[in-house]
Formats: sequence, C-alpha cells, structure tokens
Amino acid sequence: MLDSRTLFVYDTQGGLMETIFERTLLFDFYGELLTKRQQEIYENVVMNDMSLSEAAEEYGISRQGIHDTIRRCEKSMQEYEEKLHAVSQFEKIRRTLSSLQSFVEQEENGIPEEARAVIRSYAGEILKDIG
Amino acid sequence: MIKLRLKRMGKKKTPFYRIVVADARSPRDGRFIEEIGTYDPNQEPSLVKVDADAAKKWLKNGAQPTETVAKLLKNAGIE
Repeated sequence: MLDSRTLFVYDTQGGLMETIFERTLLFDFYGELLTKRQQEIYENVVMNDMSLSEAAEEYGISRQGIHDTIRRCEKSMQEYEEKLHAVSQFEKIRRTLSSLQSFVEQEENGIPEEARAVIRSYAGEILKDIG
Repeated sequence: MIKLRLKRMGKKKTPFYRIVVADARSPRDGRFIEEIGTYDPNQEPSLVKVDADAAKKWLKNGAQPTETVAKLLKNAGIE
C-alpha cells in the first residue's frame, strides 16, 4: 500500500530508531522477568510510543513514577544481558545468517538452485530455533 | 486530538513498527486511522519508509507527532 506513494528511505545506523530496536529486543528476551505491571508500562511507553504523561494518567502515578519504572526495567534487563548475552548472541547469529543468505543468492557464486533452496530452508530453520 | 505515533508490530524477536495516525484517546487499544509509514529493523541497513504527503497533510491539520515520530520525520526531511 505504501509503495505506490512518495517515500523516504532513511538509513538509521546508530540513530534513534536503532535505540528503539535495541530496547524492544531487550524486552523480547527479558521482559517476562519483569513484573506484569512493569511489562505493561514498558511495552506501552517504549514500544507503542505512549508519552510519559499519557502513561501517568493511565496508571494513576506521576510522570516521574513512569520515568523511574522505565529506568528500573531497563537497568534490570541490561543486567540480565550482561550476564546471559542472549540478545547479542541472537544478533550475531542473525547477522551471520544474513551474510550466508546474500552469499547464496549471488549468481556469480554459482550455487545451483536446488542447493540454494536447501540452504535457504536450513537458514530459516536456524532463525526459527534461535527466535 | 490526533497523534502520529509509532506502533510495534511483528512477532517476538523480529520487531517491525508502523507509524500510525491515531486518536490520542485510544493509545492502548491499538486502533488507528491510517498507516503513514513503517520501520523495518530486520534488514541491513534498517529501513524507514514514510509517506511524506500523508505526513505533511496530517501535520497541517494539527496532528501531534510524538517525540520519536517528530525526530523521525525531521530526519526524513519532513516538517
């Protein structure tokens, strides 16, 4: 639907969006270790872009309270990551798979179509297993 | 009030986001009026697409972007 209209394509390397992505991944891996209420607030503010004042109204606490909750969530999830490295492992495997995929798809590497299909399906399998 | 905000889609560990136009009173139920863009971080490099005309139209009509969306639009050269 969007593709038929005027589009801007923008490289977000190291930018704002990257941060949002990282915070989302952190939550996908460690969110369940937070309390239900923390999960809900974090999800709404960080991933669904609710403002601090909207969230404050929604949960009946101050903006500062929301802010502190988010900070606390982030701190504990970062501590889990420092010990368990689940997010960085996941990212590393995913990057390697994506290099493998682009290698396989390049005509000049002369990989027969049947072999490509097999590699593609194994790569998909690995991605599913780590996800 | 109408807001432009980011909304997370996509399954666990493969997040994907939409930039949506939504009523400020329905931040949580997920209903939105129109999708004006997407952000896909699962590609290298990650890809932001914005329908510039629609974004300008909504901003002109008084829609309020969230802080994140405002920055994003600014980066895309829309304001």
